[in-house]
This record gives sequence, structure tokens and C-alpha cells, in this order.
Amino acid sequence: MGPVAWGVAAPAVGSAFIASIVEVVEAFTVVLAVGTLRGWRPAAFGTMAGLGVLGTLIALLGPLLSHVPLRFLQLIIGVLLLVVGLGWLRKAILRSARVIPLHDEEAIFTREKSHLTDVINHRQTSLDWIAGLTAFNAVVLEGFEVVFIVIAVGAGAGDLWPAAIGALAACLAVLAVGSVIRKPLAKIPENKLKFGVGVMLSAFGVLWTGEGLGIHWPAEDVVLPVFAVVFLLVGTATAALIRKPSAEAFR
Amino acid sequence: MSMYGGVLKELLGMFLGDARLTGAVLCLVAAVGILSWSAGPFVPGAILLIGCLAILVEAAFREARKGAAND
Repeated sequence: MGPVAWGVAAPAVGSAFIASIVEVVEAFTVVLAVGTLRGWRPAAFGTMAGLGVLGTLIALLGPLLSHVPLRFLQLIIGVLLLVVGLGWLRKAILRSARVIPLHDEEAIFTREKSHLTDVINHRQTSLDWIAGLTAFNAVVLEGFEVVFIVIAVGAGAGDLWPAAIGALAACLAVLAVGSVIRKPLAKIPENKLKFGVGVMLSAFGVLWTGEGLGIHWPAEDVVLPVFAVVFLLVGTATAALIRKPSAEAFR
Repeated sequence: MSMYGGVLKELLGMFLGDARLTGAVLCLVAAVGILSWSAGPFVPGAILLIGCLAILVEAAFREARKGAAND
């Protein structure tokens, strides 16, 4: 696969980084619950096994993608990015407009801990195995979205490395911060990050789908940020139009 | 079942979280694909972008109306 233009590589790294932060924070909350309740050995084992499965998936899929014609790949990946990106953006708009509640990492941490305690109380055997499996599940399930985004934004540009580096940097950043504070990372403005990722994935989706259909965009290096700005403006305006007044406003 | 079921649910949720949005995107791409054979490069590109924005706004308003009806 050839080198990528900086105008596409930089947004690919940024999108993979931010999307990975969102997903890794969610996985970290569950791993933290496991570690706090059953110790760090099963938590670390489950996490490493999950990362191994995801790494194998990338190692298997990455080389296969280089055999698919780029235009066909861009069309398929562009459509998938549009579906996922518009879906993320729709949810972020609804959360921003208070139509659906914000993601609450503290509540998820408490729920996971109580769920694991229930399981432990009911089954007195293989407790570490159950704890490890819980961490493994969380890493694999949240990691799938990261793998999809890395493959999608990377393969569409013809090179997986920039997006993979963005995702890896996010994992290391969350692990570094998480291992220091050892609490759910509740202060991360998750919805704003999801809004940003939704905007970028939708912009990439329009770009790749168009190129896959044979559309030659004017000023190819500039058109991606233009799409992103358009999605951001329309998304922000939509959220403002449907925003529900907060309960405090009536007090 | 729980592991495979969870993975399947996550994948389906990614692509079919809003089935109507997914259907609308597929219809739009098919229409732009047909149009890109006959029209020049500008019109199909503009329709693709504007169509995606329209799908997004419609999906958000639809969900907001549903939320208001449930209140």
C-alpha cells in the first residue's frame, strides 16, 4: 500500500485516537471493576487475552485488504462508515439535546461491580476465571468498534498504519491515566468526543463512498475538512433545535 | 451463547442500531451510484453530501418526537 496524503492521514490518526479513547474508557471501567473486586491478575489476564484476539483480527484482516481493489474497498468501507458515523452523530445529537441520557461511567462501574458480586455469590468456583472472562468480554466487545474504525479510516486511504498508531496512542493514554487515578474516568467529555468522531466518520464516509462511485472531488486534500465542518454545523444546529429544557431551568 | 451473542449484538448494533437510517443510507448510495453514470461529477457528489445531512436531521428529529411522545 502506498503512502497516504497528510490531508487524509492526519484526520485518520485523529479520528482513530478519539474513537479509541471513547471505547477504551468504556472497556477500562469494566476492567477496573473486575480488578477492584477480584484483584489485578484476572483483570490483566482477561485484558491481555482480549487484546490478543483483537490484534490477531487486525493481523489477519490487514494483509487481506491489500488484495481488494482500492475503489471497491472505498465504496464498501465508505458505506459502512456512513452508517456507523451517522449513527454515532445521531446519538451524540440526542444526548447533547438531552433527549437520551448521557453515558455515566460511575453508574456502569457500580453496576458491573454489583453484577460480578452477584455472580460470585451464586457460583463459588472458578471466581478468577469468571472475573477474567468479564474483562475479556469488555475488551473484545468495545475493541471491535476500534478495530472497525482503524480498518475503515486506514484502509480507505490505502494505509492502516496512521490509524493504528492513533488507536494505540489512545490505549496507552487511557491506561496511563487510569493506572494513576484508579477510578472510572468519569470526567472525560465522552459525548463531545463521540460528536467529534461521528462528524469525522461521516465526513470520511462521504469522501470514500464518493470516490468508490467514481466521483472526483475538487481539491481532494481540502474537501475532507470541509465535509467535517458541514456535518459539525448541521449536527450542532439540529441539537440546538431539538434541545429539551433542563430540569434546573424550571426551578 | 453469551460471548458469541454479545459480539453479534455489538456488530448488529453498530450497523443496524437505527434500521431506518441504514436503509436510507443504502438507498441514497444506490441512487447516487446510478446518477454518477449519467450526470457530471458535481451533482452526484452534492446529492450524496446533502442526502446524508438530510438523513441525519430526519433521524434526530424522529427520535426526538418519539421521546416527546413517551414523556
